[in-house]
Amino acid sequence: MSPTVLLIEDDRELRRTLHNALVVEGYHVHTAGSLAEARALLAHAVADDGPDLVLLDLGLPDGDGEPLLTHLRRERATPVIVISARHGDDPKVRMLDGGADDYLVKPFSLAELLARMRVALRHRGRRLRPAVLRYARDGLEIDLEARQVLRGGAAVHLTPTEYTLLARLVRSAGQVVTHRQLLADVWGPEFVDHTHYLRLYMGQLRAKLEAEPAEPRLMLTDPGVGYRLVDSTE
Amino acid sequence: MLMLVLDGHVDLANQALLLILAAALAAIWWGPALSAVSIGLAVLAFNFAFVPPRGTLSVDLHQHGLLLVAMMTVSWIITVLVARLKRLAMAAESHARHSDELRCFGDALRASEAPMDGQAPLRQILGRLGGGHAVLLVTSTDTPADEPTAVEHWFGEGTDEEQEGLRRCARADVPHGTEQGRHGAAHAWLLPLRGSQRSHGAALVRLGTGTTPPETERSHAQALCDQLGAALEHATAERAASRALRQAHLQSMRNTLLSAVAHDHRTPLATIISAAGALHDQADRLDAAQRERLAATILDEAMQLARITDNTLQLARLDAVGLDLIKDWESPEELIGSVMRRLRQRDPDDRLRVRVDPGLALVRCDAVLVVQLIDNLVDNALKHGGECGPVEITARALEGRIVIAVRDRGPGVPEGLAPRLFEPFSRGPQGGSAAAHRGTGVGLALCRAIARVHGGELSLRRRRGGGASFEFSLPVEPLPTSPTEGASPEYGEGASPEARR
Repeated sequence: MSPTVLLIEDDRELRRTLHNALVVEGYHVHTAGSLAEARALLAHAVADDGPDLVLLDLGLPDGDGEPLLTHLRRERATPVIVISARHGDDPKVRMLDGGADDYLVKPFSLAELLARMRVALRHRGRRLRPAVLRYARDGLEIDLEARQVLRGGAAVHLTPTEYTLLARLVRSAGQVVTHRQLLADVWGPEFVDHTHYLRLYMGQLRAKLEAEPAEPRLMLTDPGVGYRLVDSTE
Repeated sequence: MLMLVLDGHVDLANQALLLILAAALAAIWWGPALSAVSIGLAVLAFNFAFVPPRGTLSVDLHQHGLLLVAMMTVSWIITVLVARLKRLAMAAESHARHSDELRCFGDALRASEAPMDGQAPLRQILGRLGGGHAVLLVTSTDTPADEPTAVEHWFGEGTDEEQEGLRRCARADVPHGTEQGRHGAAHAWLLPLRGSQRSHGAALVRLGTGTTPPETERSHAQALCDQLGAALEHATAERAASRALRQAHLQSMRNTLLSAVAHDHRTPLATIISAAGALHDQADRLDAAQRERLAATILDEAMQLARITDNTLQLARLDAVGLDLIKDWESPEELIGSVMRRLRQRDPDDRLRVRVDPGLALVRCDAVLVVQLIDNLVDNALKHGGECGPVEITARALEGRIVIAVRDRGPGVPEGLAPRLFEPFSRGPQGGSAAAHRGTGVGLALCRAIARVHGGELSLRRRRGGGASFEFSLPVEPLPTSPTEGASPEYGEGASPEARR
């Protein structure tokens, strides 16, 4: 069965364009132009289990989408991808910390959107099944069960912190993980402002795992937001 | 009494000295008039009691007349001197109290957020000075002085008559130094809050019943009022200046945006419109390859437009007053690394070279801005740095700073353009391929603005052997606490991070 997507976007042209593009890709699409409309759709959809994915534009005519995310997070585990317009005080990082799965900045390409959606849907499946424990790409193999990291077939020695950080990224492979989330999960909630820890350990990880640390292909940086381990199927 | 006891033991001259001593003491304790009178009486009594022939007021002029006159004169002189001294001491004391009050009030004014907050302490001091209580009128400081409908702020309760008096007093622009007799009713002081240009309100001090404070107190009260007036005027001037500055910034932002639309948005828009028009109108006559090419053109130009828009908005934002940078610890390697993926897509000929020295210190900066800076410099180098020469991105440490440079082997920046290079909307010379000479728009202007808000400068250096090198540097600051490997917790497989959600 094709996945159902709820697209919440107030601009009519963009909504129609995305709607058409998603339908072509085989998704079943509902659209909403405001928070109120989206809430009504979600309330209505309780019976048949609701959408499999929500695309949420920030800056809707009746609010910035944050309450809707809170509401969704309370009620169900539906993945949410935030679409941001990159204006001054951008709430996307707050939304990510608040449980959104990923984000896109307008203008974005369709290919980018589809890739993010695929990853988000796959992670949704993983919530029900056992968490992902393996990652393989560009000669890098990570097996969380065996606590083993191989590069080009040879074992790489990682310190415990490096390993913990890498494992956290593997669990969200393909999705951005914010600085705050990484710091809280790896060092503890009292370290969420110690961004420099992250910079130092990410530097060490890149030096050990990337072919060209100054031009990373696996562990990507989203400036001002967080890090993303490239999806293994991308 | 003492004199009677000493009578016969000491001679007359010593007794006279005692009397002078008594006169001096009297001058210290009593007022000058009372002491003068008592001295006269004392001398008469002395004459009567001690000066021979005793019991009479008659004097032997040769023997004792001189003594008595000298005694009287010296005593009076002492009285006058002591009285003057007392007056001076009192004046000094009140002067000290006044200047202390002025200073305290000045401190209170400086400490308060708005000069209007000075009304409470001022009313308190005025009330104390006048022995009654004070009413304060501050005419709004945000409307111009000639505005007939100035907003009034009242502090304290006043009768209608008093309010009218205050209004009149606030309106009358009395130049400095003129006495304010006209409105000074007997039972109250009316004091304008004078600034150097105009009055910013007035104060009415009701005087306590029965007492009339001296004129010095009144002029002190006026000085206090003028202090508030000056503070109000200063605040008004400051607000006007910041308003003007905001206006100027708004104007320059508007100019930036308008020029961007005029110069940089039209070309890509025109291309997009004609390509989209061709797809729309001629679709059935175009083959697949042509359609593909048109679609690619639209995509490219739209991306270019998005980039120009980003740059323009960011420049306008940086121009705005009171911009908050979101500074955090960043690694130079990462800053460069994060733009490489995107840049590679614009680099089909594989001209980009990256060289980041190992072990560079972290820097504190706004990552989004610095990444935009690097991205623009590289984009610029790819477009203008010759047809196929390499474009190098380097990061190195130099004298306590991290220097990031983008270098090309192109024709370099022409002499004439260099001084204007970082101004918005400057362009390379005409001629050559059109694509290469499309304006950089606000790109380099933005780069320089970003370097400047980080306390640095973007500079252009000519390279030996041809080409341009754009360089900017960020200061290295000491890191806070470093992470320790031992203290980190082991990653428990049971604790899934997703459980957190």
